[in-house]
Amino acid sequence: MSLLETRQVTMRFGGVVALRNVDVHQDANETLGMIGPNGSGKTTFVNVITGHLRPAAGSLVFDGNSLIGRRPFAIAGAGLTRTFQAVRVFGQLTGRENVAAALVDAQRPLDADGVAEATHWLSLDNRLDVPAGSLTLFEQRRLELLMRLVQRPKLLMLDEPVGGLSSAEVRSMIALLAELKARNTIFIIEHTMKVIRELADRVVVLLAGEKIADGPPADILADRRVVENYLGSVDA
Amino acid sequence: MNSTLNRWLPHAAFAIFAFGAPLLLSGNRYFAFIAGITLISVLWATGMNLLYGYTGLMPMMFAGIAGISAYMTVGLAAIGWSFWGAMLISSLAASLIGVILGLPSLRLRGFYFTLCSLVIQTVITLGFVYFVNLTNGDTGISQIPLPELPGGGSLSGLAYDMVLAALAVIGVVVLTLIVHSQFGRRLVAIREDDGLAETLGIDVTRQKMIAFFVASVFASIGGALYAPYVGFISPRSFDVLVSLNIWLMVAFGGRGTIWGPVFGAVLLAPVPFLLQDYYTIKDVLYGLLIIGVIVMLPAGIAGGLKAPSRKATPAALKAERAQ
Amino acid sequence: MSDAAIIIVMSTITTGIMLGVIFSLVAVGVTIVYGSIWMPNAANGQFFLLASLLAWSASVSWGLHPAIAALLVIGASVPFSYVLEILLVRRFYDVPNRNVSYFVLTLGITQILAGIFSVTYGVWSDQFQLPPIVPGVTLLGPFPIANNRLASMGIAAILLAALFALLRFHRYGRALRAVFQNREAAALRGVDVRAIYRMSFILGNGVIFAGGVLFACAYSVDLTVAWTMAVTAFAIMIIGGPGSVLGALVVGMVFGFTQAIVSIFASPTIAAFSYLGAMLVILLFRPSGLFAR
Repeated sequence: MSLLETRQVTMRFGGVVALRNVDVHQDANETLGMIGPNGSGKTTFVNVITGHLRPAAGSLVFDGNSLIGRRPFAIAGAGLTRTFQAVRVFGQLTGRENVAAALVDAQRPLDADGVAEATHWLSLDNRLDVPAGSLTLFEQRRLELLMRLVQRPKLLMLDEPVGGLSSAEVRSMIALLAELKARNTIFIIEHTMKVIRELADRVVVLLAGEKIADGPPADILADRRVVENYLGSVDA
Repeated sequence: MNSTLNRWLPHAAFAIFAFGAPLLLSGNRYFAFIAGITLISVLWATGMNLLYGYTGLMPMMFAGIAGISAYMTVGLAAIGWSFWGAMLISSLAASLIGVILGLPSLRLRGFYFTLCSLVIQTVITLGFVYFVNLTNGDTGISQIPLPELPGGGSLSGLAYDMVLAALAVIGVVVLTLIVHSQFGRRLVAIREDDGLAETLGIDVTRQKMIAFFVASVFASIGGALYAPYVGFISPRSFDVLVSLNIWLMVAFGGRGTIWGPVFGAVLLAPVPFLLQDYYTIKDVLYGLLIIGVIVMLPAGIAGGLKAPSRKATPAALKAERAQ
Repeated sequence: MSDAAIIIVMSTITTGIMLGVIFSLVAVGVTIVYGSIWMPNAANGQFFLLASLLAWSASVSWGLHPAIAALLVIGASVPFSYVLEILLVRRFYDVPNRNVSYFVLTLGITQILAGIFSVTYGVWSDQFQLPPIVPGVTLLGPFPIANNRLASMGIAAILLAALFALLRFHRYGRALRAVFQNREAAALRGVDVRAIYRMSFILGNGVIFAGGVLFACAYSVDLTVAWTMAVTAFAIMIIGGPGSVLGALVVGMVFGFTQAIVSIFASPTIAAFSYLGAMLVILLFRPSGLFAR
């Protein structure tokens, strides 16, 4: 059984269709990538799944339960967590307070040793006592990740996790995520193939709110429709 | 052990101050009265601090809730209830009314929440004016009897001051306990970024509602005890300017700290009485203070105030752009 | 229809129009400032009252002709706004969530002005009305109406039309509307956003002052009108959609007629309750207002 399964998900804003009949499924321990140009509906898709938007039609099943009509905090509690495209931490609070806020309503929190280990793995040991807003972008990205990992999510949805990072930082982040995918089920959104190609087991391509392809990265790169519609124009 | 001692040491000092001030001033009933009003203000400012300081909500209906409790307590006592029973029921009822009135507005953010609470405050004030047979309208209710004591006689003078001191101390202790609890952690997360808090599994609406209820209890108990203490209430005793002035005590003292708002109340509550001969310039002075406080808060009153000197964070700027 | 019935109907209609144009003027003033600066001016009622009282002083105490007094006061709003802009308003242009800061700031100004009025004008009298600009009475059938009231109504309507034309057709109006829609885009297109902010603050307050002066020409003013007007203008702005001039016009007229009709049957408090109720409903279910841009 899939961990996450969406069927015929449709989302409209006024008269504009943002998602049309999107079917996506993801198995546990599978790393799924989603690509598409800006405005193709990737973030809308995550917002629908995490309860920030209510779809006009379609079904969403996570871990055997429907997500329709459930509020974001409840979905987070069920083990489906996400990050945001623009990095988002409690800027005025210290890193430690940020992590504490992530633990306070976590349903299956890591114990203190686990938190220390995850902190160390993300090289944040000495960075947790300053306000999160004063950390570098890369540190904030890692703190964001730490705040999700201490909750031991069943599915971690990352919205452009390398956005705004330098190319060296992008490489370190990819290395971290490559290690992480052995332990967590990850869903990654990107608008270029670069990150997806290295991490994803399977890729879904969105274009103007519709799924136009779904398969292993190698197949996607060979898919003429994808190349013509998207990759050709963006230079992946 | 030591850290526990350190945590509660300021509270002990405050208790000595709260009980000591009316005692020292008991020779002069007028000064003792000012001390009593200040203690009620401490309780109110502490409740406002829970919402404004720790949850990031700015409730302009705070005084209205205190007023509902005050009018109801006086009304029930007038039809023969015991003051204490009336106070208990009225405080609960006013807090529930507060939550019910506030419930829809808790979905709103920032300015829209504040505006909505201002509208609710205005409705409450109009209600006090309009339902003349319950509230005696604009004229107000005077000669409110003092609370009775179980052994006969009534609570007055120094004993009343001691009750107010006890409540102020309890209020601060309760706030401290909340701030150091898991509940307090949730509230701070909501204050900093309620969207992120929700994503981390925090039921934002529910937590806001609980905070709203607790703060309303602070407001209500203060209101119920205010009425007999002053002996007179009118719609003006609980209008929007009163809410604003309680907010001012919190913002002036430093929101989001336990003691800032207490100092704010201690400094500002006596002002109108000390200026008694120039009572009318109170409004002007408070207005100037409000403007001064806002000008002093570089990140804006909706911004985080823990470190006022820091520039606006990139996240804050991003949030601004998104709007 | 009997003469008595005609008189009631005519009186309701004229009162409705009169209140409607005044409400619209103030609400347009508030919404222009909110739409551009993002400043919910809670002191609008006190500004309104300030204008009424100053015009009263100028005409009654100093003996100026009321028309000259009115023009003087409206003119005085320009330096008044300019000084406020320099001292306070511009400090917050870059503050995140500045609408909350402005809201409280203007509540502070409200408190100061209310305090000043209560120890000055409040001590002198409780009703203030300007001497008539135009004397005499006109008969509309059996219904007599003061020429003065007709004149106020006409001037207010002309002002509203002029404002509407300014915003629609003039270069400044177009720039203002560009800022309403998107600050960054307007700035990129070379609009001096800060100059627009300043202009709209001055213009908005000028309109509120004009409303106050015209109101004092038509009716007698007491100090409590400030808070009523503040709440009403906010309700109109929220229901019409913050930043929507058309919304302020339409909802302002609706409110004027509502108040005129309700006053026949019940106390004005009921009208106030109904505005507040309408505003709450809009806030909760359609916070962008009925005439959202």
